[in-house]
Formats: sequence, structure tokens, C-alpha cells
Amino acid sequence: MDLLAQGIVTGVLIGGLYALMSLGVSLSWGALKIINLAHFSFILLSAYLVYQLTITFGLDPLLMMLVVVPVFFVLGVLIQMFFHWAKVDEFKSLIVTFGIFIILQSLMQTFWSADFRRIGSELNPYEGNSLFIGDIALQIPSLLAFIAALGIAVAMSFVLSRTYFGRAVRAVAQDAEMARAYGVDPNRVAVLLSGLSGAFSAMAGVFIALGQAIYPGLAVSWFGVVFSVVILGGLGNTVGALTAGVIVGVAAGAAAVIWGPLAAPLVTFIILIAALLFRPQGLLTSRSVA
Amino acid sequence: MISRARVLIGFLAVAVVLFFVPGIQEALELPRFYVIFLFTTFFWIAQASSWNVLTGFSGYFSFGQGAWYGIGVYTVAILTGKHGWSFMTALPVAGLAALLGGLAVGFVAFRVRRLSGEIFALTTLAIAFVLASLARITTAIDGGTGIFMTGTPIPEWLGEYNTAMYRMMLVAMLLTVFTAYLVHDSRLGWGLFSIRDDEPVAGGLGVPVFRYKMTALGINAFFAGLVGGVWSLQLGFVTIDDVFNIRVPLFVILMSVLGGLTHWMGPVVGAVIIYTFSDRLNSAGLTDVNQMIVGALLVVLALAVREGIYIRMRERWVTTLVTFGLAMAVSSIFDLAQSLVTDFAFALLATILMMMVPDSVWHRIRRRGGSEPPEASPKVDQLAGAGS
Repeated sequence: MDLLAQGIVTGVLIGGLYALMSLGVSLSWGALKIINLAHFSFILLSAYLVYQLTITFGLDPLLMMLVVVPVFFVLGVLIQMFFHWAKVDEFKSLIVTFGIFIILQSLMQTFWSADFRRIGSELNPYEGNSLFIGDIALQIPSLLAFIAALGIAVAMSFVLSRTYFGRAVRAVAQDAEMARAYGVDPNRVAVLLSGLSGAFSAMAGVFIALGQAIYPGLAVSWFGVVFSVVILGGLGNTVGALTAGVIVGVAAGAAAVIWGPLAAPLVTFIILIAALLFRPQGLLTSRSVA
Repeated sequence: MISRARVLIGFLAVAVVLFFVPGIQEALELPRFYVIFLFTTFFWIAQASSWNVLTGFSGYFSFGQGAWYGIGVYTVAILTGKHGWSFMTALPVAGLAALLGGLAVGFVAFRVRRLSGEIFALTTLAIAFVLASLARITTAIDGGTGIFMTGTPIPEWLGEYNTAMYRMMLVAMLLTVFTAYLVHDSRLGWGLFSIRDDEPVAGGLGVPVFRYKMTALGINAFFAGLVGGVWSLQLGFVTIDDVFNIRVPLFVILMSVLGGLTHWMGPVVGAVIIYTFSDRLNSAGLTDVNQMIVGALLVVLALAVREGIYIRMRERWVTTLVTFGLAMAVSSIFDLAQSLVTDFAFALLATILMMMVPDSVWHRIRRRGGSEPPEASPKVDQLAGAGS
């Protein structure tokens, strides 16, 4: 029973990481009508950058967040400016960002090869360490990711519902032309939101570099999990993404305990199918952006 | 509109010529490589054409090609390698297995009302990875060890092994392209075009939307699996990472977008161009940059050449033929390259450059040349079916 309890707790924490990975995709799809597959390479690229900076300078890997988050904010801004310039719509965004995804993937493969990369334990004080509550271990990297996801989800939810910027985002998501008529510049809102999405993906990359070995094939393996979370959580709904992340994380964690770790992707996919069949609008739709 | 008889004659002529290529290659003592090159080209033509029946005609964007292809490869590998079936009985089963897989995905994704196009795309994106992990944990499929395929017997009457493989791929390719042609010019095709243009309106006007989408997806998955089954003959050793990767969907999308999604010939032209270039880049030792170039091409093409290169080739058919012929002649007479395939790649490149000249510039040049004023391209709309 302890094993299962441990599996569930680990699943909840992993769910935070899933949510963090999904936030960028969810926000840009929900509010900007761009399905940005490039976010998957952003997450991995951020993880690789953290790895590279850490082993080059020998500093605490968590500090690298101060570097990668601004970098990916700028990258998010630039990519949205490109989409705006090229007049990319929702459908074409799939093809274009798939191309960008492929370019970034082969760049990473060229720089870091297909080998597993891991920040050595002498530089990484987080991996392998756990906080204990009774018998149950909370792995530090997952715990940090969960706290970050919780903070961002709640903060974004507050921003979207209570601030001027949030109202502008929701207005643009509903009808960009009408928003423009009321004095909102849809392009500026989109650029800022895309920057934030990039920053969230960078955060996810930091925690991935902290907690596991990274290799180029990792990005493809996230597709199922992230889209399950995005669709289950509702497009552009940050709190929904966290809830969905925890559900997917717990289900995958329990499945890993019961049937072994390779069963986890199957369970994730079954959740995706179930979500599509029964709640295609998401779990907590009323609070979503779109 | 070309008449059906002319298309049929064209198909037969191409079939007969290509059927005797292995014989000609032996008689003239040309390198064996030409036959292998054509074999692979046929594979990509068939994959791209089958993908286009769903995505090009109905507008539902699919990343699932790798999954259907993988089901085909694995079905043949398991049935012949583990259960001792003969190849000829395993092959149709491969197509049917892929068909079932496709219909299962469509059954779920096509029922979603809101955002069904996007959700279909993302479900198909995830499916190949899920199949890969299913194969990895199930020892009856793969279990992570891979399957040896060497020496799968194929019937003697098809000729020597490589020739037989070539001819089977040729037949599979012709069947796929011919099916795409038949769909394009049928009630089903017009229904799919109307779904692409405006699905709710099409449904309201009596197009059986769900059934047509399922049919198109079924055709796509069946041929992808069938062709994957033939392809498995030359794999030797089937592994999960080689089969369920992003390469097949990536290339298929790229080929069709380049060639043009609206016409059945688009993917054929696109596949020939992309595979020829990709093969030349690989043989020049540029394997690493190959995928990067492909990704960049995809971004540029998706944004720049909207209607696809095949439609332009038809509009500028004189230029196409002259450029291609001249470049081919110059390249092979002066023996610029060692291989006929490289000459072919040069000629294709020259032709594509001529096609890349934007319409506005093109018409200005032609007017100055004193030829008749350009038509306001009604031909394009006609070719593109219901427009786009």
C-alpha cells in the first residue's frame, strides 16, 4: 500500500511538471490560436542550455533560470512577431511550427548528439534528494516544479481574470477585431503572451534538467502527455492545466507502479481519448480564456 | 479537365515502362542503384499520395502517417518473422490492420464537435508514440528486441528478389495513385472538397460528413500500411525506433505541401522532387544538415508556394518541359555529374527555380516577350477542385 501511496504522491508532483510543460502550448493555442509545436523544442532546448551552462560555469543549476527564462521570453516574442508577419493562422501554425520543431531538434542533435546528458551529482544538489513526510519521499526537483507550476497557474489565473492585461487577452481571444475597436492592440497582447509562454516552457526545461537525463528524442515523447493535459484542462485555462496535470500524473504514476514504467504513456493516451469523448471542452471550462 | 481515357492510357504507359526498368538496367549494365532509387521513390510517392487523400482533399491535417506505416511494417514482420505466414497473405492483412487502426482513431477524433480538425491532428501526432510504447511492452509484438526480416520468401514468379520487390512496390504505388485519382474525380472527392471548404455547410447540404471523412482516412491508412508492408522487405531488421519515428510524417507532409494538396498529382511531383534532393544530399555526405534543410523548406513552402508546384507546372507547362529537357540534356551531355540521378536532380532544381518566379513577375516578362496576354488563371480554380 505504501508503494501505491508513494506512486500517487510522485504522480501529483510530476503532474506539476506536466502542467508547467503544458502552460505554453495551452496559452498560445487558447488565446492566440497558434498550436505551437515549437514549445516542445523550447522545453528541451532550455534543459540543454541549463545543462551546458551548469557544467561550463559550475554554478547551481537552479540559478540558470535567471538566464534561460529571459532568453526564452525573447524567443517567444520573436516567434510571435514572425507569425504575425507571415500571417500564420491556426491551421498553418501546425505545419510551420512542425518545421521549426524539426529544425530545433536537428540543431540539438548536432550540438549535443543523441547521447543521454545529465548534470553530474557534484553540480546538482537537487537530484536524488528527497524531503520525507513519514515514509513518503518528495523528490526535490519534482517538488520544486510543482511549487512553480502552482504559483504560475494561480498567478496567471489571477492576471487573466483581474488585471487590464488579462481582460485584454480574453478580449483578443474572443474577437481580435472588436478588441482593436475598443483600443486594445491585439498584436502587442499576442507578443507579450507568447513571450510569457516561452518563459513558462523555459521554466519547465530547468526542472527537467534538474531531475532527469536529457536526449533529443525526449521532445517527441512529451506530445501525448502535454496534449492530454492541454485538452483535459481546457485551452488557455491555467488552473485547469494544473488539475489535468495532476490527474494525468497520478494515473501514469499508479500505472507505473502496477504495470511497470513503460505502461505510463498508454494510460496517458487512454486519458486523452476519454477526455476527447466525454469532455472535449475541458474539465473547468468556465474559467478558460477562450 | 483531362479525359478519363487519356489518364488511363497515361497510367498504363507509365506502368509498362517502369515494369521493364529492371530488365533494361541489366541489359545496359547500368548500376543497380537506379532500381533501388526508383523503389524508394515509389515508396514515397505512394505514402504521400495516400496521405493526401485525407489531408489534401478533406483538409483534416494528419500526423498519423508514421503510425499507419508502422502498423503495416510490424504486421508483416510479425506474421512472416514470428508466425511463418507467407508474405503474400501477410501483405493484405497489413493493409487491413492499418485500416482498422485509422478507423479507430477517426471514430474518436471525428466525433468531437468543436476544434475537431486540431484535435484530430494532435491525436494523430500522439498515436505513433503510443503504438511505439505498446510495441515495447508487448512481447507478442516486439518487446524491445526487434524482429529479423532477412530472407522473407516471396513468390518465384515475380522474378529475382530485388526485381520482385521493385515490381511489388511499383504495383502498390500505382494502385495508391490511381485510387487518389479516382477519389479526386468522384462524388466522394467533391464531398471531401466541400468538407475542406466549409464543413458545417457541407453537412447541412447533405454531404455525409462523418462517413466521407472515415472513408478518406480508411483509404489513407490502408495504403500506408500496404506500402509499409512492401517496404519492410528491404528492412532486414525491424526496430521500434526505426519504424515509429517522425521521418515518415515529416517527409509526407513536406512532399505534399510542395507538390500541392489540391490535386492528386501534387504529392507525386512533390515526392519525386524531395526524395531526389534528399538522396543527393545524403550521398554527398550531408546527412546531418539534411533534416535541418527539410524543416526549413517546410516553413518556407508552407508560407510561400500556396497552391503547390504542380499547379504552376501545368500553367507554365512549356517552360517546364523546355527547362527540364535543356537542363537534363546539358547536364548529361557535358557529363557534369557522374550519375544520371544527379543530372535528374539538377534538371529538377532548374525547373523549380523557374516555377518559383512569382506570378506577377512572370506575367510581366511574358507580356514584354510579345506573347498573348495572360488569362486571369481560371484554370487554377478548375484544377483545385472546389477552390481552396
